[in-house]
Amino acid sequence: MSPSDELEQNAFVDGELSPDQQAELLEAMREDPELARRICELGQLKAQLRVAYANPPQPRRRMAGKVKASWRAFAAGAALLATGIVSGWLLHAGGPAWRVDTSRFVVLDPDGHGQAPALASGDETRIVFHLTNADQTVAGELLDDVEGMLKAYQADHRRLRVEIVSNSDGLDLLREGLSQHKARIHRLAEEFSNLTFVACKNTIDRLKVERGIEVQLIPDAEIIDSGVNHVVNRQQQGWSYIRG
Amino acid sequence: MKKLINAVLAGLVGLMAFTGAAAAAPADTKQKVVYHINGDDAKQQAGALRNIQNHINAVGKDNLDLRVVMHGNGVSMVLLPEALDKVKGFKNANATAEMEARIDGLKNQGVRFEVCANTLKGRQVDRERDLYMVDSADIVPSGVAELAILQSQGYAYIKP
Repeated sequence: MSPSDELEQNAFVDGELSPDQQAELLEAMREDPELARRICELGQLKAQLRVAYANPPQPRRRMAGKVKASWRAFAAGAALLATGIVSGWLLHAGGPAWRVDTSRFVVLDPDGHGQAPALASGDETRIVFHLTNADQTVAGELLDDVEGMLKAYQADHRRLRVEIVSNSDGLDLLREGLSQHKARIHRLAEEFSNLTFVACKNTIDRLKVERGIEVQLIPDAEIIDSGVNHVVNRQQQGWSYIRG
Repeated sequence: MKKLINAVLAGLVGLMAFTGAAAAAPADTKQKVVYHINGDDAKQQAGALRNIQNHINAVGKDNLDLRVVMHGNGVSMVLLPEALDKVKGFKNANATAEMEARIDGLKNQGVRFEVCANTLKGRQVDRERDLYMVDSADIVPSGVAELAILQSQGYAYIKP
């Protein structure tokens, strides 16, 4: 792959190509499954990065460089220096820093271990699981975890919504004849109305075009247009994201 | 006189920059990130730990609250090779001297490694006997729930 190809593929994923260029690349993707797969992965990676860095932390404020050469500034600087030394020493020595309103922060126990802040009673935990791997052992373990959480939340009368999105090779989990967990999925879907299994239409279409496969889904699977787009939207709506 | 003042000021600015650097960024301005490990490929795990080191190099350890959550096969990263025949369901035990050195290096920079209790119970793992340096405080009830909780607290999620 030449650097200009790579540039073009990046531009495609970012939606920066002209309609003509887009059509050309789409045509090339239809003829070259390997290219299509690469671009799909590129899109997934970028989507993950966008979400991970949607809210970058504020840069640390710098005190240096603002002091002007006047006596007033000198006095202010000296005061700041004293504060800086004291706070630096306290923090460095691990001594007691001043009390702040901790209600906005993650609660830490003495081991520095995080605890969920108490949620208001109306709050709902929402998790989207993203399966792209053909290994259904991982999917099975995931179902163990999900079932455990669904039961725990139900027992505590806490609200939980779970979506399991499968695309690419992960779709096997929801395909008739290939799913190793069909019965279990059915039992869970019957028991928990707050659990949804979602299949990616892009993958279904691609299997048909590339390999002539008419995909049949198990009865408990719902269909959405794009699995990748869906998990990105969910994250932007505040859902937690876990990749299987 | 002016020269002297300037010299004193320059010294002060230098000192302030120094003390400022010594103090960690306040908790609310730290970048919060959780890395998710659930595969048992040693190369991939070592690669993930390299990613984390690069992440620390880019952001600075004092500006970062970074956690690693291991569950399922991912626990193999801290599973001692001699424990492999005592536990259930693991194909690999990757806590070799090399992996241990990587983990130690990251722990020294403030990275926390968390292990799923469901996995330990289900696969008959004894924390003290079978795992490399996992403290009781590093055990979380459910790895998956922990990933969800941390994200709801503002942690960015990365699956290497």
